[in-house]
Amino acid sequence: MSPSVLSRTRILKVCVLLLGILLVLALVALSVGAVGIPVGRIVRALAGATTVLSAQDELILFEIRLPRIALAMLVGAALGVAGAAYQALLRNPLADPYVLGVSSGAALGAILSLAFAARVEITTPVAAFVGASATIAVVYFLGHRSGQLAPYTLLLAGVITASFLSALIIFLMNFLSGRDLRGAAYWLMGDLSNASPVGLGWLSGLVLVAIVGVYLVAGDLNLLLGGEPEAAQLGVNIRRTKLAVYLAASLATALAVSVSGAIGYVGLLVPHLVRLLFGSDYRLLIPATALMGAVVLLAADTLARTVIAPSELPVGAVTAVVGAPVFIYLLRRGVGSGGWR
Amino acid sequence: MGQTMRPPAGKARVAATVGFSAVLALSATAQDLRRVVDETGRRVVVPVRVERIVSLAPSLTETLYALGVESRLVGVTDWCNYPPAAKAKPSVGQVINPSLEKIVALKPDLVLGTTAGNRRATVTAIERLGIPLYGFNPRSLEDVLLAIPTLADLLTVPEAGAELEAKLRRRLEAVAARIAARPRPRVLFVLWLEPLMSIGRYTFVHDVLVQAGAESVAERPEDWPRLSLEAVLQQNPDYLILAHSPAVERRLAALRADPVWSQLRALREDRVIVLDDAVLRPGPRIVDAIEQLAHVLHPEAFEPQ
Repeated sequence: MSPSVLSRTRILKVCVLLLGILLVLALVALSVGAVGIPVGRIVRALAGATTVLSAQDELILFEIRLPRIALAMLVGAALGVAGAAYQALLRNPLADPYVLGVSSGAALGAILSLAFAARVEITTPVAAFVGASATIAVVYFLGHRSGQLAPYTLLLAGVITASFLSALIIFLMNFLSGRDLRGAAYWLMGDLSNASPVGLGWLSGLVLVAIVGVYLVAGDLNLLLGGEPEAAQLGVNIRRTKLAVYLAASLATALAVSVSGAIGYVGLLVPHLVRLLFGSDYRLLIPATALMGAVVLLAADTLARTVIAPSELPVGAVTAVVGAPVFIYLLRRGVGSGGWR
Repeated sequence: MGQTMRPPAGKARVAATVGFSAVLALSATAQDLRRVVDETGRRVVVPVRVERIVSLAPSLTETLYALGVESRLVGVTDWCNYPPAAKAKPSVGQVINPSLEKIVALKPDLVLGTTAGNRRATVTAIERLGIPLYGFNPRSLEDVLLAIPTLADLLTVPEAGAELEAKLRRRLEAVAARIAARPRPRVLFVLWLEPLMSIGRYTFVHDVLVQAGAESVAERPEDWPRLSLEAVLQQNPDYLILAHSPAVERRLAALRADPVWSQLRALREDRVIVLDDAVLRPGPRIVDAIEQLAHVLHPEAFEPQ
């Protein structure tokens, strides 16, 4: 599908469809868990009825499930968009939100905060965000050439930074106590189980900024993927477009990783899934990827907390176990090579 | 009790405070609250009369049963398999990642956790939900013993706590008296094989070894030091000690076939001790593990005279 024939109506239709799926899924996710709460009662409670839920159900619903569902959706949306944006920026269908080392930087920050928890008052998400931001700056510094972000230079800079940071993480983990080691391992796997309503407002605002940031240059991205000289001729400010995409995608990744650890496969897979279903125009791809990312991660997390309830799986394990076969399937259908543009 | 006990100044004070409020508790109603400081230094407000307990660690579950308050235990973890009756209690999931929903649903008025198993993130989340969580921090055998009266006072059964603690201390003294003059064999406690990990100086498992009349070859400051096989070869411990696990026999067979491991004195002379996995649980059965180990290391000390 070429950019010119994409109508606003189509974008709207796809988004409404995905939003509908997301809402139904959210309702299901609200009602299932270690403790079942009937959907009917949840709908009435959400509509404002005050007496339908016991105090205990209310605590479970509003302090545990709702924040966790919101977090899963936000993180899924952020990872999906970051993946789509990096795939375009790096011209590489294998790019995912973690390929440039943002997650390794976040992990290093998180593990430092665990290691020095006794001496430094900093929460793990904040420390992770600081680590991720520093990595974004370093990779930009290493990856640009005469003011331009060149795909291969950027990719190499990111991969090298990521592996260096991973080495530091392994080094540091030797010095963690048993308890913090378990915490760190869970963090590295990706985990949404301790979601809290604190800071959700900030998080959703910033994730929205990042997604809108990529969406605003989506038309330019389409042209850019057709070739840089051609795009320049058509009046695209290549340098600015790339920088905007890099910053917005990195911000989305940093936010996602800081609050949930490194949840794999969502950022790699969701953009491919959306391309397969709805085509590869970035004006549709970006909003659709955001919504599909939210759907996929919410579904994975709901599975993670229900399949062996009351025990839980780390959601990163679910996305990897389901994600790898799906990716292979998409690859066999040729999406991995041709479809991504 | 020998040179292994470190002065437990801070904890003794906390225990004393709790004990005092337990006396007040006898005349209290269910709604009365009191402030305590747990072993990790957190301030916790707990009901004076605790009726519904969720235990987040097997060791704490064992202590509750040993204190005879299991009727008030409403939730345990998947790993709480001792005593066998504990397996029939509702589970809140795994020690490392319990289900917050399930914990809330059990309506506990006190959750018990331990730094030996639970994550900081779990503690923070339960705190946020407004459920009091008392955290234990067993770093030595003395900590394990002192946790018993502390827990008993929290649950207003101070006599049961004092009795259980005294009984365990008497058993430890009996072992100590028997092995006092014996030479101490040098042992390697194998916590994990790939990579090779042992236990460090400041762990209760280390104290188990010393209390049973052994000397650990891994006197390190880390909790779970990783050791090089070279260092182990050089130290050439008299005994290899492992905690029981389903795969332990297969692992030992692999060690006996290994060109390096098989050269260790402990393996050549078949001096491998597989202890009950209670040795890894900072609960009352830790004394069973000490007695078991002392009997194997010093059989002649326990012969009838």
